[in-house]
Amino acid sequence: MKNRLKVLRAERDWSQADLADRLVVSRQTINALETGKYDPSLPLAFKIARLFGQPIEAIFDDGEA
Amino acid sequence: MTTSALKRGPTPLRLALAAAGMAVGGGLGWAIGRLVKHGQLDLSGVGWSDLAAATIAAMLLATGLLVSLASFNARLAGRMMDPNSDRPASPAQASFYRQQGAVMALAGIMLAAPVLARLLWEPLPAQLAQAVMAGIVALFLLQTLLNVTVWMRADEMMRRMIAESGSVCFWVLQAALFLWAAAEKLELAPALSAWDLMTILMGAYLLVSSLMSMRRGFS
Repeated sequence: MKNRLKVLRAERDWSQADLADRLVVSRQTINALETGKYDPSLPLAFKIARLFGQPIEAIFDDGEA
Repeated sequence: MTTSALKRGPTPLRLALAAAGMAVGGGLGWAIGRLVKHGQLDLSGVGWSDLAAATIAAMLLATGLLVSLASFNARLAGRMMDPNSDRPASPAQASFYRQQGAVMALAGIMLAAPVLARLLWEPLPAQLAQAVMAGIVALFLLQTLLNVTVWMRADEMMRRMIAESGSVCFWVLQAALFLWAAAEKLELAPALSAWDLMTILMGAYLLVSSLMSMRRGFS
């Protein structure tokens, strides 16, 4: 699944470790999310959406739209 | 500064770890070779599963000790988590690493104990065998407690990797076990001992979990 995490993170000048701290996950998880190697659970997707103040579908793209 | 801005080639830490691993592994192999050559160590009666278990145990013990020791240095632990960052590990991250290292080291000790006991004492006295078994059970309980704690402290991706590794191992090994058991029943394949099966299971789990980790971008 594609996502805009890397762009959103760069806009705030956060490192992967910074974002990991805010989401209480490991830096490796952020890297796997950004590179499309891991799809987050629904609770984590909501947490990401709340952190960036955007709806989930504005951050994640399942390619169906 | 973003993490990608810090990306660089093989880090000195990785090169040092690779060199240390090759030096220890090479030295150990050379020492064992010398002992066997001069008749001070007889491995002729040692089965393939004992040798495989001892090798896996040595790897687990060495990695576990290395990770545990490195976790006492925040900067080194930070480098282990992310070789491309200079950020030191937090106390919670370091203790998580220490716990994982302890789990690996304990697994190595438990795996090596029965093999070493049989190798060092032939015949193995019943009382000594019971003492070794009691020690293994005690370590097993401690390791189970640590394993549960690691699971509880892990984030969702790590939990998913652990669960996926378990699933893959179950489906692959139950298929292999069925085929082997059928062949054994038909007297087409030799019988395997519980220790043989356990060694195969351990080797397969380590291989599958490593592949799962690499698939998620761990290196």
